[in-house]
Amino acid sequence: MRDISKLFLLLTIALVAVSGAFAQSTPPAAGPNLTIGLVMVGPYNDHGWSQANYDGLQYVLAKVPGTKLVYIDKANSADRPGTTVSQLGESLVAQGAKLVIFSSDDMTDEAIKFAQDHPDIFVILTSGSQQWKEGKNYLPLPNMINVMGRMEYMKMVAGVAAAMTTKTGKIGFLGPLINDETRRLASSAYLGARYAWVNYLKKDPAKLTFKVTWIGFWFNIPGVTSDPTQVADDFFNSGFDVVISGIDTTEAVAEAAKYTAQGKQVWAIPYDYSKAIDEGKGVSLGVPYFNWGPAYVNAVKSAMNGTWKNHFEWNGPDWKNINNPDTSAVGFNKGTLSKDASAAVDKFVGELGKGLNLWVGPLNYQDGTVFLKNKEKATDQQIWYLPQLLQGMEGQSVSK
Amino acid sequence: MRDTRTNRILFQIGAILFALIVTTLVLSLAGAQPFAAYKYIMLGAVGSWDVVSNVLVSWVPLLLATSGLLVTFTVGLWNIGIEGQITLGAIFTTWAMRLLQDSGWNPSLILVIAVLAGMLGGTLWALLAGALKTFGGVNEIFGGLGLNFVATALNIWLIFGPWKRPGVASMSGTLPFDRSLWMPIAAGSSRLTPATLVIAIVGIIAVYATIEGTYFGLKLKAVGRNPKSAYILGIPTWQHMMASFAICGVFAGLAGAVQVTAVYHRLIPSISSGYGYLGLMVAMLVGYKASLAAPVALFFAALNVGSIQLPIILKLDSSLAGVLQGTLVLFVILGQGVRTKLLKKTKVSS
Amino acid sequence: MQVELRGITKCFGALRANDNISFTVPPSTIEGILGENGAGKSTLMKILSGFYSPDSGDILLDGEKVKIDTPADAILQGIGMLHQDPLDFPPLKVIDDFILGEKGGLLPNRKRASKEFKELSARFDFSIDPESYVDTLTVGERQQLEILRLLWLGARVLILDEPTTGISLPQKEKLFATLKKLAAEGMTILFVSHKLEDVEALCSRATVLRQGKLIGTMELPFATKALVEMMFGKEMPQESKTQLKMGMNVLNAKHIDLDGVRIQIKGVDLQVHAGEVIGLAGMEGSGQTLFLSACAGLSQPVGGSFCLDEEEKDMTGQTYHEFRKKGVAYLPAARLEQALIPGLSLTEHFILSEGMRGFFIDRKKAEDLAKSRIALYNIKGRPDSTVESLSGGNQQRALLALMRDPLKLILVEHPTRGLDVESTIYIWGKLKERCANGTAIVFISSDLDEILKYSDRVLVFFAGRVTPPLNASSLNVERLGRLIGGKDWDMLETEAAHA
Repeated sequence: MRDISKLFLLLTIALVAVSGAFAQSTPPAAGPNLTIGLVMVGPYNDHGWSQANYDGLQYVLAKVPGTKLVYIDKANSADRPGTTVSQLGESLVAQGAKLVIFSSDDMTDEAIKFAQDHPDIFVILTSGSQQWKEGKNYLPLPNMINVMGRMEYMKMVAGVAAAMTTKTGKIGFLGPLINDETRRLASSAYLGARYAWVNYLKKDPAKLTFKVTWIGFWFNIPGVTSDPTQVADDFFNSGFDVVISGIDTTEAVAEAAKYTAQGKQVWAIPYDYSKAIDEGKGVSLGVPYFNWGPAYVNAVKSAMNGTWKNHFEWNGPDWKNINNPDTSAVGFNKGTLSKDASAAVDKFVGELGKGLNLWVGPLNYQDGTVFLKNKEKATDQQIWYLPQLLQGMEGQSVSK
Repeated sequence: MRDTRTNRILFQIGAILFALIVTTLVLSLAGAQPFAAYKYIMLGAVGSWDVVSNVLVSWVPLLLATSGLLVTFTVGLWNIGIEGQITLGAIFTTWAMRLLQDSGWNPSLILVIAVLAGMLGGTLWALLAGALKTFGGVNEIFGGLGLNFVATALNIWLIFGPWKRPGVASMSGTLPFDRSLWMPIAAGSSRLTPATLVIAIVGIIAVYATIEGTYFGLKLKAVGRNPKSAYILGIPTWQHMMASFAICGVFAGLAGAVQVTAVYHRLIPSISSGYGYLGLMVAMLVGYKASLAAPVALFFAALNVGSIQLPIILKLDSSLAGVLQGTLVLFVILGQGVRTKLLKKTKVSS
Repeated sequence: MQVELRGITKCFGALRANDNISFTVPPSTIEGILGENGAGKSTLMKILSGFYSPDSGDILLDGEKVKIDTPADAILQGIGMLHQDPLDFPPLKVIDDFILGEKGGLLPNRKRASKEFKELSARFDFSIDPESYVDTLTVGERQQLEILRLLWLGARVLILDEPTTGISLPQKEKLFATLKKLAAEGMTILFVSHKLEDVEALCSRATVLRQGKLIGTMELPFATKALVEMMFGKEMPQESKTQLKMGMNVLNAKHIDLDGVRIQIKGVDLQVHAGEVIGLAGMEGSGQTLFLSACAGLSQPVGGSFCLDEEEKDMTGQTYHEFRKKGVAYLPAARLEQALIPGLSLTEHFILSEGMRGFFIDRKKAEDLAKSRIALYNIKGRPDSTVESLSGGNQQRALLALMRDPLKLILVEHPTRGLDVESTIYIWGKLKERCANGTAIVFISSDLDEILKYSDRVLVFFAGRVTPPLNASSLNVERLGRLIGGKDWDMLETEAAHA
């Protein structure tokens, strides 16, 4: 026994080398053919975030000749115990992937490890901000690009649709986990709702209730997160008649359909995926969605032709047509809206296109401290790293 | 039928064949090509140094859990609470790392302390199950299940509460530790940590030697096979049960420590990765014999890692590995049952 | 019915348990099947009753060849077997147990069965309440129930395997009377035993097996010496009791009160002296086991105290392991359930009982120890034999061999239950060697001869009552039997008052 342990000690000493040196150069151009690996946090057909990414890659395959896709979904430690996301990324590399897309903020740690371990592989970390020079977590990695869409606008649109529809003046926001991204998205929805409430409906902002309930993750994990179905029910049972979903799955819509079928007219707004409104015909007011295709096409092309440069991009809508699949990074797919509400949504989109900015002071944080002074415009950093919900919103600002 | 080595092995092979046939049927019914699936699982487990090292990474905690369980099985206990013991090991390890990460101490020293803390955590949780059994009369299966739930709840509370990332509570766990506090990774691999491999191999050898070669191991066997007689022979029974719980806890805690320091580098909600339950299956499959634990655990780890290829290449659900493992255990145990029955029928008697 | 066996052979691996056995039992015969443990008696009977199939050979009933593959076949042919451990169902009511095994309707006719049970019961003067539960019956009553059941099912050949083990004397007498009555009515009875006296008292013929072979058959009157020679190949000397002087105090039980599951004992006083043998007699379940286990710290008294040694060290409330350290050993009757560890070898047992020092097992030393003990105690087994592979007698020898030396006190439940004469004599020889060296022995036995033969003093238990220690020399089978049966206790008290 002693001999064996000695042998292994020797082996250990021989093998151990902390991979400290990270390559400082961009991976070489991939050329005319590129296999793309996609790692998704949920099922590829989840009618939510993961499927939006999956469809984005289908768009890439259609638009960029010479590309191939390999993917793995359900890349989370509950669905695939014992695996790590970087390991799953490597499985895709083993299938020939030269560019790997980690399509969730949840994968940040592992995506960074992967990018460091594999300097020869192009990496896209969707919704991350590590390659943002002006960002707080700047960690330059030559092989990494961060991609994100300016969903804030579409959440505002969702807020407008909700405010124009609610009869009780109570809007619920079904939140995932609490972080910078989810705070700014929930706050955007609130800003849109309040804008419509005050400017279109001419009502007292104090009469608008906007409550956020977080379930703990992007989708339901039994026993770990709160049950989103239960949370949606709680909203509908306590006077809220519109629920804006911030999670990747469509429980809110399903519950709204159920309540409406039982004779209690309520509505919901799903998230992420343009066809998510199909789930609840008649109760879905519309869906703010991501259109990842164009951004992924750009990144893929740069990896193929050698123009790849690590950067952060935060892509906005095409104001000429927010639903243009070739140009708009985010969109809003209208669902069952009243004539007034539909007109208000169109009007609001038009105003945004002309430069309306709701991130302008005076705005206070939820705890009453000043966020923006009168007329002060928020910087991208202030919005991206929003530390609290806004005054007027109910719900937790930081996880306790 | 006689109790011979040959027919024992024949029964095992028969059981494995049956399990393969059933899995193949399940696959065919699901409209998949079974042989392609087996091929890709195999390639995914041994096809390259990368996947082999992944298999070894998964083997370490599984083998540690199995090693611990062999000790509790020897004394006749079903330590189903091992999942919670792994979790507590991970929690204690994380706790020690959080306390020491900014101390400026030598990283190796911090890692050693963290691993020791993990062992302590697993042991304490196992002793709790043991105390419930010994002094509270709570069957270790029920006590263990209860403690598993408590451990999971505690873990999630820590991740979403006191140990959350700055401003963010995330399912992706606590903030990862600095790379200097990771278990050293072997050159040429992105995650294989030789130190943990050594721990696991030394561990199973120690368990084998203890069970097969020491007075203590023999006493554990005696208590496991017949506590009443063991007591009459002068062996303190409950003390040996507690000792085996403690030893299993040490191994479970080690597995948790490995998960934190060598695999995830942080605490995540499902930190045990189900290795405790999988370890129970391995231990059952090898008939509680330490000599076979290492290869069978390696096989299970290979199935787990190899099956990742299924969704990637064949668009099949990777839970197939679980189906294969489950049917294997089922048929091997069934085979043993049938064999014992046949033996009993023709037992020498006069 | 006439039972004929022709050339029955049955092998288990290399062992020829039955080797070409042929004999005929005429109707109305009580045939004793004699042989020491391992002679092949049980195997032969299990073949006859359908539990085993023979490798070769035929069974003929009234001259007709029959095929018996299962116990159900056997009972269809009229062969019923009463096992050593009655195969009944303790959680059932007597009448339900009785009905079990009846073929035919899904819904048993309880009323008819109950009536027939009572008739049968009356015929043999049994007094079992059909509505009571089986687990409340004594072993003897369970035998009676089983006999009734087999008769009711139409048995015309009755096989009894060691039926006198574990039943009281009156029950044994009743059993024998019943069997004789059945034989007189034409029943053929095969009576398997290793107890010569039982066979002599009951049987009209005796067939002896040894090492799987038929040695011979003897008609009445039996020549005991010849039978013993046929069984063992040589005559065993019957040892006489050695008289010992009273030694020092080993155990002093003062006013012990005990609460058992179904029985309570009050105020037992007993002083055990070095070198002395004390027998605990009584029907099973009369409190002997409760008292004996309390003497070892295995159960705790609710009143009184236990002191060890001349120094009167108070051990009340201490665990068995404390008693053990002080030189007390306990040998339970259920060898494989309470004393030995199935699956472990003899060597491993010796290692465990010796409490060897060190960390790693010294295999060489352990095997040497095992070999020497095996030789010393004449155990038929190898150092690596598992204990369950040994015969009952050899298990008992192993149990003795496991006892440490020196010991102050040995507490034994049924030291020779189910053992053949040779083993019995051997076991007592070994126990008395210990006595000669100053070890005291307290034992339980339901065999009155054993109690009388080996004890210096006797305690009789009856329904929780305990006699004061009686000198064995003042007792005989009849007096002891009456005391066990609950008679003469008033007289005993009068005697005590006079003394």
